[in-house]
Amino acid sequence: MERKGAAAGKQPLRPGGGIERSMEQKSAEPAGGTAPGPRSYGFLTAVESGSHGVFGGYLLVDPLGRPLEFHCTAPVKVSRAQQILFGSTLQSHLHGQQIGGTLLAEGTVTPEMVLTDLEPMLHVRSHTKLPVAFVRDATSGASASAGASTLVTCSFTIGNATVSPHATDASREVDLRVRLEELAAAVDLREPFERIRAAIDEAQRR
Amino acid sequence: MAADSGEIRPVHSVRAAELALPQVAVVPRVDLRVARPAALRFPIDVPRPPVTRIGLFDARPVVQSFRFQPSVAPPPAVPKRAAHVAAASATVPLAPPSEEPQAGAKADSPDPPPKRTRIAPPADVVKLSERFFYLLQPDLETILETSSLEFPRQPFPFQFDGMAFLMPRHGAVLADEMGLGKSMQAISSIRLLVRSGEARRVLVVCPKGLVSNWTRELADWAPEILVAVIEGDQQRRRWQWSLADVPVKVANYEVLVRDRDLIAELGLSFDLMVLDEAQRIKNRSSQTSEAVRSVPRRRSWALTGTPVENSSDDLVGVFEFIAPGHLNERMSPKVMGAAAADHVLRRTKDKVLKDMPPRLNRDERIELSVEQRETYRRAEEEGVLRLADLGQEATIQNVFELVLRLKQICNFDTFTGESAKLDCLEADLEEIHASGKKALVFSQWVETLGRLRGKLSRFGALEYHGGMSTAARDEAIRQFKHEKQHSVLLLSYGAGAVGLNLQFSEYVFLFDRWWNPAVEDQAINRAHRIGAAGAVTVTRFLSANTIEERIDEVLRRKRDLSDTILSQAEAPAASGLTQDDLFALFKLVPPRSASLRAA
Repeated sequence: MERKGAAAGKQPLRPGGGIERSMEQKSAEPAGGTAPGPRSYGFLTAVESGSHGVFGGYLLVDPLGRPLEFHCTAPVKVSRAQQILFGSTLQSHLHGQQIGGTLLAEGTVTPEMVLTDLEPMLHVRSHTKLPVAFVRDATSGASASAGASTLVTCSFTIGNATVSPHATDASREVDLRVRLEELAAAVDLREPFERIRAAIDEAQRR
Repeated sequence: MAADSGEIRPVHSVRAAELALPQVAVVPRVDLRVARPAALRFPIDVPRPPVTRIGLFDARPVVQSFRFQPSVAPPPAVPKRAAHVAAASATVPLAPPSEEPQAGAKADSPDPPPKRTRIAPPADVVKLSERFFYLLQPDLETILETSSLEFPRQPFPFQFDGMAFLMPRHGAVLADEMGLGKSMQAISSIRLLVRSGEARRVLVVCPKGLVSNWTRELADWAPEILVAVIEGDQQRRRWQWSLADVPVKVANYEVLVRDRDLIAELGLSFDLMVLDEAQRIKNRSSQTSEAVRSVPRRRSWALTGTPVENSSDDLVGVFEFIAPGHLNERMSPKVMGAAAADHVLRRTKDKVLKDMPPRLNRDERIELSVEQRETYRRAEEEGVLRLADLGQEATIQNVFELVLRLKQICNFDTFTGESAKLDCLEADLEEIHASGKKALVFSQWVETLGRLRGKLSRFGALEYHGGMSTAARDEAIRQFKHEKQHSVLLLSYGAGAVGLNLQFSEYVFLFDRWWNPAVEDQAINRAHRIGAAGAVTVTRFLSANTIEERIDEVLRRKRDLSDTILSQAEAPAASGLTQDDLFALFKLVPPRSASLRAA
């Protein structure tokens, strides 16, 4: 562990039982490189930064909500021309393929499912075999917007969160709910997205 | 060739080359080419229009990846949150602390969202991957819940903040005001580190009188962790130090100094070393400080309610333990405060315990009786004259002796035994005793405590000071706590100001004043702490127009210094009770040779 001003001769402990870092920067590769491992859950979101562009973040946690892997993209800046040419398909392409698909390809464990709090990110389902679901605050009373309504056809409440599986996975609603219960017993399903945003914010400040 | 006879004869074919006949090439003389018309040339090299290529995300964004080792903590048998998940209801808030009065809470008001405490990476962690490690952890409450760790009482939110402060830090000073549960916060943090496998060998060092407190608190807050107290003869201590399967060892400062070489000989090192009442090492050249700093360790935490007792040098001394070289005595208070900020967490009760019973301060300015005043006047005049006679030969010790003598007279007239303070105290105690309340009385002198005990016997006065054995002191505390007839506990600042939980006492009397306000605060906070049932009334006796009033003025300036460093405010005009201050109490100029600090 590298610390400023650490006393000479001391060997500080690694935090939290240690970190295995994979700091190499590499281009995204097609999905399919993941391997089965300990049970895990994926949290996928993006943060828009006015000056930099859109950052993507993908956090894999264990059933207790503790981090296993974190992947984040360099910012993707959308030009005016790209906005015009992609038109209404821009968000689905940007979030679903460019950011979401790229990030999911980086995971080395296969999560039970991928949760996102951004509706456009549901389009990532076209680029992965993993079930994908949209998570929102169950107590806010807000419903999924029109954009998501074509992508989700059912939802269920677990803890403080309403979970809407992608339409492709609608038939597995019960199964997905069962899979989520263990994680939801440990953490609020909306909370890991806050961690991702905090990490991306930290990355921007550095 | 002959064909007239009809006879077929062999035919010889002769090539022209064999006959050597001349060969003539025949060239047709007709020009078959059609003459092309004269071409008109038009310039056709008009440049192609420029093409703008718009990248349509054909390159995937660069990704940085970070991987973390799974936690070693075993999975919980039944996560606490499971109940609320099954009910699909709002998150179950952490139960309010049982000791915290919930003033103003309405039964039918909705539960506020539970506070969630994040473990923020310390400023000295510079690698992004390591900062991510902390940022990506669940909140502390979730970690505790999913670790199946039970607490005897629900911690306060600020105590979670304290744990989140300690856990990621290798060098930390938890400088909460007395009574806010520094020990509990440290023990809970130790528990989490032991649980996660980050700490396997922990050493707690505390004053001798607090060892039993620590073992009791460890049993309360970390019942599953084995604890060894280092005590007894050397052979026994050697065995105790060598216990490999005991994660937490508790030693007092004197034992640590004595066993410094033994620790080195045994090659011991610790994942975490916690110093309680860490102001003990403020003097860097003391044996205690050197012994403490010689122990090999990875993490160093200091617990103290008074990181700055007399001067900013005190904090430098503590930092030599937690982060050597990070502070130096040449720093101004403001600069030092900024440099120390990320390593020090300081909370006061008025900031974090909004609902805690108030502390009511009464400064009781007492006029000495006529005889007492006369005795005081004579003693002061003679003393000042003697100092004046000594001139440049006067030492700080001479001044100190005079101060002590005058203070004693303010307590009791040395000739008549009269005491205006005692008269006042007795009047107050009559009422306290009648109402079944309890009171603590602090003095600087054991002799004063003895005199008070005789005078206050009708209130069942008990003594607690360093001249008593540990067993006798424990018995006094037990009696005071549990036996109704004992309304008064007389304590010395030295023994009674730290570590005791006497929050059932609603009255505190400072019969005389200590040399710095931090120790006085510690004394007061024996009663005014978490769990206090009602308002705590603090009465500070001050003899009018005496040395006590002059000292009080200096003490106020010292309090300003502490506030300056811990709040990074502007520097105060003066700091500490220096030798100059002491001489100035008698309007004397200190001799040039004197250089000692007085207190």
